[in-house]
Amino acid sequence: MTGESVLECIRRRRVTRFFAREKVSRHALIEILRAARWAPSAGNRRLHRFVVVTDPPLLKVMRAVAPGIRGYPPAVIVICIDWERAVHLGYQLLDRTLHIDVGTAAQNMLLAAEAIGLGAGPVTSFSKAAIGVALRLPESLTPEMIVCLGHRASRQAFPGTRPAVSTRLEDLVIWREPPDSEAHR
Amino acid sequence: MSVVEPRLVLTEEEALQLLSFLITAARLLLDEPADYGPLRLLLAAQYLCADTAPRSSDLVRGFMHELEKEIPDRTAERYRNPAAFAAFLDDGCVRVAHALLAYYGRE
Repeated sequence: MTGESVLECIRRRRVTRFFAREKVSRHALIEILRAARWAPSAGNRRLHRFVVVTDPPLLKVMRAVAPGIRGYPPAVIVICIDWERAVHLGYQLLDRTLHIDVGTAAQNMLLAAEAIGLGAGPVTSFSKAAIGVALRLPESLTPEMIVCLGHRASRQAFPGTRPAVSTRLEDLVIWREPPDSEAHR
Repeated sequence: MSVVEPRLVLTEEEALQLLSFLITAARLLLDEPADYGPLRLLLAAQYLCADTAPRSSDLVRGFMHELEKEIPDRTAERYRNPAAFAAFLDDGCVRVAHALLAYYGRE
């Protein structure tokens, strides 16, 4: 993949909420998990665990306790924090880097899905307690984000979200440059 | 007493799914922005309409179908046009009242 195609992948990616029934191959799931593994991680500690779910009844249970899941994804990957290892390494429960790393892993996964032609959508609106029970997670693992995966359905409207606003770069960025920088000439 | 025979319109699975949605949504709303509340309730209403409409009486089915179709589009415009969204909800309340009156033979 060239630098240009990476940027194109970033620009093209959109959140997928509704999925076709077609299954996601194990090969594709492993490709996405590999991308998560390559994501930057604080101190390169790798304190996240990934739970892959493709069992239809279990997906139904998850959807029922995750109001953020709108369609019927044929596969999901749950990004968890391994608190036992984190605490052992001296991380505090409120350490924000562990949550930031959920985001870096998720973004790699979303881009990997896009690159191999799959749709993906992150979900944080779910009951952690219920998902923990559904997936029989040990107490040391907390589910932090669900990444829904599948082939995109034609309908993608997600009612209730804020309208797509084309935010300008200048609305997002504060520059602190030397007076002789390009912007001041 | 309703003007139609009582009927069962939800399967056990559908009821369980909806109950799970409502309970978990209630918990999530403690931490989410307040304006997620109407969204979650309308989504539950949409699921209820989708599940029940096929088994509902002729008297109720049309009303359920209409709501199920309208909720996604109307909800989508809630940030673009909050007044229209509020008007939709007001209108929804009125339509519910009419549906109930018809159901109990008082329309």
